[in-house]
Amino acid sequence: MAPVPDPNNVGGGGGAKRDEATMKVPSKDPKKKDDKKEDDLSEEDLELKQNLELYVERVQDPNPELQKAALESMRQEIRASTSSMTSVPKPLKFLRPHYGTLKEFHQNMAESDLKKLLADILSVLALTMSAEGKRESLGYRLTGSGGDIGSWGHEYVRNLAGEIAEEYTMRQSEEASVEDLMDLVKQIVAFHMKHNAETEAVDLLMDVEDLDLLLAHVDRTNFRRTCNYLTSSAKFLAGPDDMLVLDIAYMIYIKFEEYPNALQIALFLDNMQYVKQIFTSCTDLLRKKQFCYMISRHGITVEIDPEMVADKDDRDMLQDIVNNTKLSEGYLTLARDIEVMEAKTPEDIYKAHLLDGRASSGPSVDSARQNLAATFVNAFVNAGFGQDKLMTVPSDAASGIAGNWLFKNKEHGKTSAAASLGMILLWDVDAGLTQLDKYFHSSDNPVLAGALLGVGINNCGIKSDCDPALALLGEYIDNEDSSVRIGAIMGLGIAYAGSQNDQIRSSLSPILNDAKAPLDVIAFAALSLGMIYVGSCNEEVAQSIIFALMDRSEAQLGDALTRFLPLGLGLLYLGKQESVEATAEVSKTFNEKIRKYCDMTLLSCAYAGTGNVLKVQDLLAQCGEHLEKGDIHQGPAVLGLAMVAMSEELGLDMAIRSLERVLQYGEQNIRRAVPLALGLLCISNPKVNVMDTLSRLSHDTDSEVAMSAIISLGLIGAGTNNARIAGMLRNLSSYYYKDASLLFCVRIAQGFVHMGKGLLTLSPFHSERLLLSPTALAGIVTLLHACLDMKSIILGKYHYVLYFLVLAMQPRMMLTVDENLKPISVPVRVGQAVDVVGQAGRPKTITGFQTHSTPVLLAAGERAELATDKYIPLSPILEGFIILKENPDYRDEE
Amino acid sequence: MLTVSVKWQKKVFEGIEIDVTLPPYVFKAQLYDLTGVPPERQKIMVKGGLLKDDADWSAIGVKDGQKLMMMGTADEIVKAPEKAIVFAEDLPEEEQATNLGYSAGLVNLGNTCYMNSTVQCLKSVPELKSALSNYSLAGRSNDVDQTSHMLTVATRELFGDLDRSVNAVSPTQFWMTLRKKFPQFSQLQNGMHMQQDAEECWTQLLYTLSQSLKAPASSEDSDAVKALFGVNLRSRVHCQESGEESSETESVYSLKCHISHEVNHLHEGLKHGLKGELEKTSPALGRTAVYLKESLIDSLPRYLTVQFVRFFWKRETNQKAKILRKVDYPLELDIFDLCSEDLRKKLEAPRQKLRDEEGKKLGLQPKSSSKDSDVKMTDAAEAPSNEGGESSTAAQQEGASSSSEKGTHMTGIYDLVTVLTHKGRSADSGHYVAWVKQESGKWIQYDDSHPSIQREEDITKLSGGGDWHMAYIIMYKARFVSM
Repeated sequence: MAPVPDPNNVGGGGGAKRDEATMKVPSKDPKKKDDKKEDDLSEEDLELKQNLELYVERVQDPNPELQKAALESMRQEIRASTSSMTSVPKPLKFLRPHYGTLKEFHQNMAESDLKKLLADILSVLALTMSAEGKRESLGYRLTGSGGDIGSWGHEYVRNLAGEIAEEYTMRQSEEASVEDLMDLVKQIVAFHMKHNAETEAVDLLMDVEDLDLLLAHVDRTNFRRTCNYLTSSAKFLAGPDDMLVLDIAYMIYIKFEEYPNALQIALFLDNMQYVKQIFTSCTDLLRKKQFCYMISRHGITVEIDPEMVADKDDRDMLQDIVNNTKLSEGYLTLARDIEVMEAKTPEDIYKAHLLDGRASSGPSVDSARQNLAATFVNAFVNAGFGQDKLMTVPSDAASGIAGNWLFKNKEHGKTSAAASLGMILLWDVDAGLTQLDKYFHSSDNPVLAGALLGVGINNCGIKSDCDPALALLGEYIDNEDSSVRIGAIMGLGIAYAGSQNDQIRSSLSPILNDAKAPLDVIAFAALSLGMIYVGSCNEEVAQSIIFALMDRSEAQLGDALTRFLPLGLGLLYLGKQESVEATAEVSKTFNEKIRKYCDMTLLSCAYAGTGNVLKVQDLLAQCGEHLEKGDIHQGPAVLGLAMVAMSEELGLDMAIRSLERVLQYGEQNIRRAVPLALGLLCISNPKVNVMDTLSRLSHDTDSEVAMSAIISLGLIGAGTNNARIAGMLRNLSSYYYKDASLLFCVRIAQGFVHMGKGLLTLSPFHSERLLLSPTALAGIVTLLHACLDMKSIILGKYHYVLYFLVLAMQPRMMLTVDENLKPISVPVRVGQAVDVVGQAGRPKTITGFQTHSTPVLLAAGERAELATDKYIPLSPILEGFIILKENPDYRDEE
Repeated sequence: MLTVSVKWQKKVFEGIEIDVTLPPYVFKAQLYDLTGVPPERQKIMVKGGLLKDDADWSAIGVKDGQKLMMMGTADEIVKAPEKAIVFAEDLPEEEQATNLGYSAGLVNLGNTCYMNSTVQCLKSVPELKSALSNYSLAGRSNDVDQTSHMLTVATRELFGDLDRSVNAVSPTQFWMTLRKKFPQFSQLQNGMHMQQDAEECWTQLLYTLSQSLKAPASSEDSDAVKALFGVNLRSRVHCQESGEESSETESVYSLKCHISHEVNHLHEGLKHGLKGELEKTSPALGRTAVYLKESLIDSLPRYLTVQFVRFFWKRETNQKAKILRKVDYPLELDIFDLCSEDLRKKLEAPRQKLRDEEGKKLGLQPKSSSKDSDVKMTDAAEAPSNEGGESSTAAQQEGASSSSEKGTHMTGIYDLVTVLTHKGRSADSGHYVAWVKQESGKWIQYDDSHPSIQREEDITKLSGGGDWHMAYIIMYKARFVSM
C-alpha cells in the first residue's frame, strides 16, 4: 500500500495551505493515528480510495483522453455519494489529501473543457477544503463548466449560496460587475425552490438584493411558504428593505390569486393602489365581500368606486360592509350565542360581597367620584350591548331612573354619564341617536356636551352616507360654552378617526389659531385633528398645530393639557417613519418647555409598531438620563419605547426586560410611565410576568406609580375577564378603600377587565398580529399620554378622555357567515397559535386546541381553524367576520 | 317633485314626496304625520349638516330617490331632579365622618396608647355616651369633687370630638385632667411620660364616671355606670377547719380571668377567678384560718368586662411580668353556669326562647316548602306561646332588680364587642391597641391615630401565646330576647 501523502506536503500552496488543512480536519495531526485508521478501512473503501488515487494520478497525465476519463470517473464517484449528506462522503474524504495537487495542476492547465471539468471537481472539493473567506468553491464554480448545480448535492449548493452572498457584498463595495454571480444565483434559486428550501432561496435573494427573481420561481406548491417567510422576515428588516420584501410577497399573492393575503399586505403597506388592484383583479363578488370585512376591521376609510365593482347594488352592499354597519348585529349575535346579553351593574363587577365585612358599608350618601367610576364601569362593561341598568332603563319608571342616574353625577361628571349612553349603544347608530336625542334638548351644558360626545362614540368606526355625526356635531363646534365645544370636537375626532375628512378640518383648524379659544378647546381640537388625519402626514394640519404650539404662552405650556398638541402632531405621522423628519426639525424651534416632549412624541409615534431597534435605543438613552425636576419628556419616551417595540414578540419581550431595568434605575417620573408602557405592550394580553410586576407596582409608595399600575392592570386584562386580575383589583379596592383617587382608578381598571363582558379586545393588532390598526393605536396612546398626568386630567375634569379607548375596542370574535351573510354555526378548532414560519412540511398551526361551534371568542395568541371540510373559508385568517362557501367536493361520510 | 326615502330609527319610510317649491318645514310636517316627532324636534341629515326649516331645497341638492336620515324622538326631555343630589364630597367634614362608618383615631401624646385604647373601648358603649351627654356641665353635685367633674366633662368632650372628626383627634385636654385626677399617670421616666397599665386606667376612669354620673337622688339603682358594667357576686365563704360558713355579696366592674397552667379557655379562667382562698380571723377558732371563697354571679350587667390577669409582680426582677399563655375566648360567651341558682331560674325561659328563635332561623326555613310545612309552622308557633305563659311569672319575679328594659330579657349569652390588647413583655412597656366592633358588624382596630378594618376571624387570634397583640381586657355585650 502506498504511503499516504501528507496533504500539507503535497500541496504547493505553501504555508497558507497548511493552515487551512489543519484547520479543516482537526484529527489530522499525528500520523500514527492515520495509519491506524487506514487499517480499519473496509475492503470496499480501500478499493475506492485506491481508485481515487489512481484518478488523481491520471488527471495529471498529459494524455487528454486519459485525463478526461479520469475526471469523468471522479465526478461519477463524487456524485454518487453526495446525494445524501449525513456524513462527509467517502470520495471527498479520500480526495482531500489531493486537493493541493489538483489545485496546482489546475493552475497550470491550459484553457480547455478539461480544465473546466477539473474546476467543477475542485469546486466541490473546496466545499470541505477551502479556507474561510477565500470562497474557492465559488471561484472554481465560476470558471467551471457550469452544469446542473443540483447534481453535486444540496450541501454544495448551500455552501455556494453562502459564498455568493459574501462575494456579492465585496463586489458591491468595489462596484464590480455581478453579472456572473447573478447567473449562478438564478440556478441556485431555481434549485432551492424546487427542493423545499424556499427560505434559503429568499435569504440568498435578499443578500443579493434581487427579490424580483423570486416571482419567476414560485409555483402553487411553494408560494405560501415563501410568502410566509417573506412577511415574517419583513418585521426584522430595516427600511426600506421591509417594504420591498412585502411588495414581492404582495406580487406573489396576486400572481396566485391569493387575494386575502395580498390585501393584508396592501393594508400593511397602507397602499390604496394595491387595495384597488385587488378589487379589480378579483372577479368573485363573495370574495370581495370578504375583503370588505377585512378592511372594516382595519378601521380605514375606503370608498368602493365603480372601477372596483361595476354594479351599483353590489357596490352599496360592499360599502355597507366597509362602513361597518353590520358590526353591531354580528357582535350581538355573538353575545346571544354566548348568553351574556343580561346587563351587568357596576356592583356585579366590583363583587364587594367577596371582600370580608366591607360589603355592608355602602355609604348612605352618594359619592360623586364613586358614581362617576360606576358610570364608566357601566359604560365599558355593557359596551355595545344596547342595554344596561343605569342609563337605558325606561325613563317612565319612577320619574325616570335614567334621568336619575345622570344627575347622580356631578357637573362635568354628567358629561361622561350622558356620553356613556353612546358607549352602551356602540356601533348601533340608529338606536344610539334615538336614545341620545333627549339629551340634545337639555339646558344643562355638561349634559349637552355628553350627548355630543356620545354621538361621536356611538358612531366610532361606523360610517354612513348621511354623516349623522358631522351633521349633528358640526353646529356645536363654535358654541360659546367650552365644555360643549370640547364634547363636539372630541366626538368628531372619535367618529371620524382616520377618515381624513376635509370638511371637519376646515372647521377645526381655525380653532387652533384662534387667540380667544381656551387652552382645553385648542388641545382637544389638535387631538381630534390628529385622530382624523392619523398617519396621513397631512401638511396643512401639521402646520396649524405647529402654529398653535408656537402661540402658546409660557404658562400655558406648563398646563397638563398642552401635551395633547404635540400628541396630535405625532398622530399625523403614526407609523410613517422618515416622513416625520421635516416636522421634527421644526419642533426643535419650540419653547424648551415643550420641545423635548414634542421630540419624543413625534419620534415614538412615527416609529410606532415598526420594531426599529435603533429608535428603541434612542429612547432608552433618553430614559437613562437623570434630570432636574420638572422635565416631563421622559414619560413619552418610556411610552415610545413600548410603542416602537410592540409590533413583534421578540422585541416585545426585550422591551419588557428593558423596562424592568428602567424601573430600577429611573427617576420617579420614569417610574410613573413604566407601568403604562407595560400596559401598552401587553394590552388585552395578560402575561403573567407583567401581571406580577404591575401587581407589585400597584402597592408602590408613590401613589402616581400605583395609579398607573392599576390602570395598566386593567389594560392588560381588558376584555378578558381574567380572574386573576379581577381578584387582584378586588383586593386593591379594599386596600385603597379610603383613598378616593386610587379607588377610582381601581374601579376603572375593573371596568376595563370586564369590558364588553369579556367579548372585546383593545389590541390594535389583528389578522394574526400582522396588521396594526392606526386608529386603535391612536386611541390607546392618547389615553396613555393623558395618564402621564393622571391628577390633572383623568382625576380632574377631563375624565372623558377615557372614552378614547373606544377607538381600539373591537369584538375578539370569529363569526362565520354564509354566502348571504347570515350567521351559520360550524365546528372550529381554537388553540394556541404556533409559529410555523420556515418549518419544513405542513406543520400544525395550532396546538392544544378545543373544538367549538362558531361564533367563538379568540384570546390573545389564539388561532382558529375550520374543523369541517363542508365549507371553505374565503380568508385564510380566521378572525372577525368570515364568509364560508360550500365545498363542492364535500361528500357526507354516510 | 322629488321622491325620497327617510330612515328613522330602524324604520324606513319609502316614497315620500318633496315639493321643492315649499320650504322644508312642510316636509317636516309630512314626517310628523308618519313618525309623531314634532317638527322642531326633527333632525334631518343632509349634505353639510342638518336640514333647516327655511332652507332652499335647490341649494341642499337632494336627489331623487335619495335616502335621508332623520333623528329625533317624541320622548320627554330629561329634567334635573327637583331636589339636588348631595354628594359626599360636598358634605362638611363631620358628616363625612358618619359616612365612613367608624370614628376617628386618637393621637398618641407620648406613651398614651394605654389611655387611647381604653377610651376607644369605652366609647363603643352607646349607653355610656348617652349617660355622659345627660351630664350637666355646670350642675356639679356636691358629692363629686372638682377633678372628677372635670374628667367627666373631658370624657364627654372627647367622645363628641371623636364622633365629629374624620382625622385623628388629639386628647390633650382629657389627658391633662386624667393626670390631675390620678397623679400616678404622670410618672416620668427619662423625661418622658411612662407607659401605664391600661387596666388601671380603665378601672379608675370607670370608677370616676360611676361616681359623677350617679343621679343626684343617689340611690343604688340610678347608678348608670353600675347598671351598665356592674356584676353582683354572691359568695359563699367557707372555712374547712371550723366548718363555718357565711355568705356575702359584692359588686364588681369586671370579672377576672386567672391564668394558670390548667387554663386554656376563658371559661376555665373565669371559673378559676371566682374561686379563691383568703385568710381571715375565724371567730370560732380565734385565729386566722384559710377560708374558701366561692362566688357566683347574681345579676348580669349589660356589658360584661373580663380582665385577663396577665400581669403579676415578679419579686425577683422587681417588675410586672407578663403571662404569655394562650387563652382562647369565644365571640359568643355563655356564662350560664357561673350564675347563681336564682339567676339561672330567671334565665331559663329567655334562653329557651332564644334557642327557639335560632332554631326557627336555621331549621324551619328550609322545610317551609315541604308539604307538612303548615303543621310544622303551627307547632313552632304554639311552642313559644306556651313557654311565654310559663315565663311570664318568672319575668314578674325578676321585678325591679332586672336591669333589662321592659319586655326584653337577659339571656346570659354575650357577644364580644371590644378587645383591648397588649403587645410586649411587661405592663409598663409595649403597646396597647383597641379592637372595636361597630354597629355595622365591622371590626375596627384603633392603633392610636390609625383606625383600620379587621376581619372577625382575626379577632379571635388575639388570644396570646406569642408576641402578637394579646387580649388584656375584653368586653362582651349582653344578648337580649324580647318576650
